[in-house]
Amino acid sequence: MQFRDVELGDDLPEETPDVSMPTVTAFCEAAKHVFERFIDHEAARKEGFPSAIVPGIMSQGLLAAMIHRWAPGCTIREIDTVFRGALLVDSHVTMTGAVTDLNEDDLSVELDLAIIAEDGRTGVIGTAQVTFEQ
Amino acid sequence: MDKPDLNLAAIRDQWVGVEFDWTTFEMTAPNMVAWAVACGEMDPRFIDPTHADFQAHPGFTTHCMSGRVFPKDFPQIGGGFGVDGGKKVEVHAPIRAGDTLTATTTIADIFDKTGRSGTMIFIVQRMEFRNESGHLVSTVDWKMIKKAD
Amino acid sequence: MRLDLHTHSIKSDDGRAKVENYCQWILKKELPLDGFVLTEHRQFDAESDYRHLEDQYGLVIMKASEVETDFGHVLVFGVNDDLLGALDFTDVRLPLEVVLEESSKAGAFAAPCHPGRKRVGLFAHYEERGTVTGVHTVEVLNGGSIPGEDEWSLEMAEKLDYKGFGGSDSHVVSRIGYCATDFPGQEIPDIHSLVDALHAGNFSAVSMRPAATS
Repeated sequence: MQFRDVELGDDLPEETPDVSMPTVTAFCEAAKHVFERFIDHEAARKEGFPSAIVPGIMSQGLLAAMIHRWAPGCTIREIDTVFRGALLVDSHVTMTGAVTDLNEDDLSVELDLAIIAEDGRTGVIGTAQVTFEQ
Repeated sequence: MDKPDLNLAAIRDQWVGVEFDWTTFEMTAPNMVAWAVACGEMDPRFIDPTHADFQAHPGFTTHCMSGRVFPKDFPQIGGGFGVDGGKKVEVHAPIRAGDTLTATTTIADIFDKTGRSGTMIFIVQRMEFRNESGHLVSTVDWKMIKKAD
Repeated sequence: MRLDLHTHSIKSDDGRAKVENYCQWILKKELPLDGFVLTEHRQFDAESDYRHLEDQYGLVIMKASEVETDFGHVLVFGVNDDLLGALDFTDVRLPLEVVLEESSKAGAFAAPCHPGRKRVGLFAHYEERGTVTGVHTVEVLNGGSIPGEDEWSLEMAEKLDYKGFGGSDSHVVSRIGYCATDFPGQEIPDIHSLVDALHAGNFSAVSMRPAATS
């Protein structure tokens, strides 16, 4: 994917990221973010969640990886995510993205991003600014 | 619904811009790789420490928590510890394995608004990360949300 | 004419959309929209002038406000200096009755948005505190609603004989036009015409939301 291939309104390929318990646990350990609400369904329920939840910072990382797959070699200059609702560990979530702006001066594009939970609610919404190589 | 006895404008005037924490963080290749792999990353720049351009994933600094949550003498506003409302990350330059980053934390904004969970107070903390050369490599804005009611 | 009556730009604290990108998106995606209203949170953006974008993209771009009251969020169309002098738009607990009364006095049009939403919706407050005199129009379709919220808004609006309009409540570019309002056979070139059209009541809410998105 080169800058010249991108058009405003393009959709990034929809993806279903791995938010299984082993993967979320591995993330929490790497992030030194090991809290029971992320890695233990029963403990999360005791805290009032339907089950264990995906850390917000992991959801941002999932979206960043999606961008890199869409445009290998691109550089993410900014990624801004709002955590609107819980994404559950071991659930089926869907990531989407769309190109909303292009800047030919610095070969950058802006993206809208979202992660939709299994029940159809938007769990994460965000934007990113990405630059391409000359 | 009575307006709580809280002068948020005065608190904002007093505290926005106040720098209150200075911490260092070691960037290690195993943690950088583990983070990226768990996020489903496949780009070798982020998962292969032998790659010539090996670097941290864009949001890697979001896990670096400052030593203090609030400045000394910061007023008690809102209830509870606060939940994470979102993170904005600006990537200024690559973060390399072995870097020691120095982070400074500043209160960037304070405001209130109402949402599905009631009236909430937003406290935005900005962490700026610099490498050993003093170059700004990453800025993270963290929105902490506290219940006002 | 079809207008999205509820959008946010980067002027709102949680808005991430640039106004020109909204225009480009509408044209690129061929959305059946003739224009949109920017309803920034807790403020009225008096400074921004989007007339050049209206000319460039052939869309109507209007400015309004979303204020916060003791009965939930309210869209105010036709904000002027009189109203800005009468209300503190930054106050998140404005009394709804005052907003309605001052809007009426100033020639503006105030209508609760996402009324079926917990805590920030009118009908949730009605359940606890009863109805408010002066409400006659509400946003029955909102692009940011979660399942059940718009259904309740429609049900209650019908029961209370309120008129209903629609808006996307978009905060990012790609969500504009999820919901909108049809004004059949009407030309609405500016905010004054919109206020008149809302008073006249010949409009209806439409949903253009993609399936399985909330």
